Amino acid sequence: MAEKPIISIEKVIKNYPVGGKEFRALKDITLSINKGEFAGIVGPSGSGKTTLLNIIGSLDVPTQGEAHVLDKNIAELSHNEAAKLRNYNIGFIFQVFNLLPVYTVFENVEFALLLQKNTVEQRRKAVYDALEWVGLQDHANKRPDKLSGGESQRVAIARAMVKRPKILLADEPTANLDSENAHGILKTMKMLNKELQTTFLFSTHDEKVMGYLDRTIHLRDGALEKDIIENKTTSV
Amino acid sequence: MKLALKLAFKNLWGAGTRTVLNVLVLSFSFVIIILLNSIMDGWDQQAQKDSIVWEFGEGHLLHKQYDPLDSFTILDGHGPIPKNQLGITPILVYQATIYPQGRMKGIVLKGIDSNQTILELPIEKVKTSEAKFPVIIGKRLAESAKLNKGDEVQIRWRDKNGTYDANTLTIVDVFDSNVPNIDNGQIWMDIKTLWKMTDLNQEASFFVADKNYKAEALPLWRFKSQEALLKQLKDLINQKKTGQAIIYLLLMAIALLAVFDTQILSIFRRQKEIGTYIALGMTRSRVVRLFTIEGSMYSILALIVGSIYGIPFFMYLAQVGFAVPPADQKMGIAIAEVIFPIYGIKLVLSTILLVVISATIVSYLPARKIAKLNPVLALKGKQQ
Repeated sequence: MAEKPIISIEKVIKNYPVGGKEFRALKDITLSINKGEFAGIVGPSGSGKTTLLNIIGSLDVPTQGEAHVLDKNIAELSHNEAAKLRNYNIGFIFQVFNLLPVYTVFENVEFALLLQKNTVEQRRKAVYDALEWVGLQDHANKRPDKLSGGESQRVAIARAMVKRPKILLADEPTANLDSENAHGILKTMKMLNKELQTTFLFSTHDEKVMGYLDRTIHLRDGALEKDIIENKTTSV
Repeated sequence: MKLALKLAFKNLWGAGTRTVLNVLVLSFSFVIIILLNSIMDGWDQQAQKDSIVWEFGEGHLLHKQYDPLDSFTILDGHGPIPKNQLGITPILVYQATIYPQGRMKGIVLKGIDSNQTILELPIEKVKTSEAKFPVIIGKRLAESAKLNKGDEVQIRWRDKNGTYDANTLTIVDVFDSNVPNIDNGQIWMDIKTLWKMTDLNQEASFFVADKNYKAEALPLWRFKSQEALLKQLKDLINQKKTGQAIIYLLLMAIALLAVFDTQILSIFRRQKEIGTYIALGMTRSRVVRLFTIEGSMYSILALIVGSIYGIPFFMYLAQVGFAVPPADQKMGIAIAEVIFPIYGIKLVLSTILLVVISATIVSYLPARKIAKLNPVLALKGKQQ
C-alpha cells in the first residue's frame, strides 16, 4: 500500500486583492508530495511559487480548494494550531536569512527549541548537532552581522533543522549567495534530506538548485505547468 | 514568560541608545514621583506632629459660642471652667490692641496656665520674669510688629464691662514654632494675668485636651477631636498633593509617550522579525506578549537605573532635608524651614506599580496590532 502523501494540495486557488481587483496568484493547483522528497517549485517571478509555499507552511490559506499538510487542513487551523504545526513540523529557510540580529548564532538556532518544552541540556545538544551539520560549531557565539551570506544561510538551515521538522520549506535559499556558497548549502541540505528523511520543498528559479532536485514542479502564471519526477515527466 | 523576558531583555539590549533614553526618562519620572510624594508625606507628618504638640493636643473643648475662625465670637465665646473635668488645659482668648513703635495693631491675647505641659509653648518663661505683664510672642508677630525679646509695648483692651484699660507688656521670649496659628497676631500670657486684666476669673474660651480627658456632655462646651482639628490641614496637604500629581503625571506622560513611540516604531520597523517569530512557530498572542513585556521592561530597567542614582539621593535628602523657601513659611500653614522626606513602603510600592502598569499598558496598546498582521507580508517587511 502506497504511503499517504505528507503534503496534499487539491484544486487550490489563491486570490489577492490588488488595486481594488482580485488577482489570482494560484490557479487550480493539485499536487502531492511524499515524505523524504527533495522537490522544488520552480518558475519565473510572479508564478506563485512563494504563495504556494506559504500555504503549505500554514502562513496563508487558500481562497478555494484544500491544502493538507501532515493530515491537517490548513484552512481549518486556528492561529495557535497553525503556530504549533510550524513549531514542531515545519522549518523555514528564507531568501534573506531572517536571522534575529540581537541574538548570537547559538541563540538564533536555539530559538525554535525555546518554543518547545526541552531541557537546557537537550537544547544545547540539539543546537550543537545542528551547527555541526552546517559546519558552524565554531561560530556559535557570533552575531549575525559578523557572518558572511553563506554562513548566515547555514545558520538559517541549522535553525530550521534543529527541531527535526518533517518538512523544510526553503524560499529562494540561494538567491543571495554566490555559486560556491550556493552549492555548499545545497549539498548540506541534500545530506540532511538523506540522513534525516526530512522532506525538502524549495521555491526557486535558480538553475543550480534545480540540479540538485529529485523533483521539479513547474508553475507559470499561477498554474501548474509540469511536474518532473527524476526522469518521469508529467505535463499538466 | 521566562522566554519572553529573556527575549525582551536581549531586544532592549540590542536597541542600544533608544533603550538608554527611554529608561533614563522613565527612571527620572520614577525618582521625581517618589521625591515629590516623600516631601509631601514628610510635610504632612511634620505639620500634623507640630500642630498636635503646639496647638491641638488631643483635641479642643470649645465654648459653644466661640469659633476660632470668627473673631466676632471672641467677645461672648467664653464661660466658666467646668468643675471636676480632668485632662483639660484652659485657654482664654481676648481681643486687644498693641502700639509697637507708635503704630496700632490689633492682636489676640491668649491666656494659658504657665504650668501647663500639654503644649510646647514656652509659657513657663513668664513665671521667672519680674515684669508686671510678662508675655511671649512667636517669631511671626515679632517680625510683623518689629518686637524683640525684652521689648516693652503698650497694650489697650476693654474689660468685661467694656471699660478701656491700658498697660505695658514685656516680651520675655520670642518662640519659634512651625505653626502659624499660635503665632500670627497672638500674644501669650499666664491665664491668671489675663483673668485679672479682663475680670473674667476662672473663665476660658476653649480647652486643650490631653490623654486623661474623657468626653462628657457639657451644656456650654463642644468637643472637637484631634482628627477633626487636623482635617483642615490634611485637606490642604491633599490639595497640594493633587497639584503636584499633575506635575509628575505630566512628566510620566512624556516618558510613557516615549515608550509608546518606541513600541510603534518597533512594530513598524521589525515586521520581518515579527514574521520570522510567527514562521518559527510563535503564536501571535505570544509575539504580542513579547512586545508588551519588552515595553514594560523599560519600566523595570528604569526602576533599576532610578534606584542606582535615586537611592543615594534620597538617603542624602533624608539626612539634610528639603529647605523650604521663607515665602512658603508665611503661607499660614504649618510648615518647617526644612522638611525631611518620608519614604514609606506604600509610597515606593505604589510608585513602582504605577510606573510598571502604565508602561505595560502603553506597550500593549500598539502591540495589539501584531495580532492582526499578515505574516506573509510581515516576512517581506511590507507596511501593514
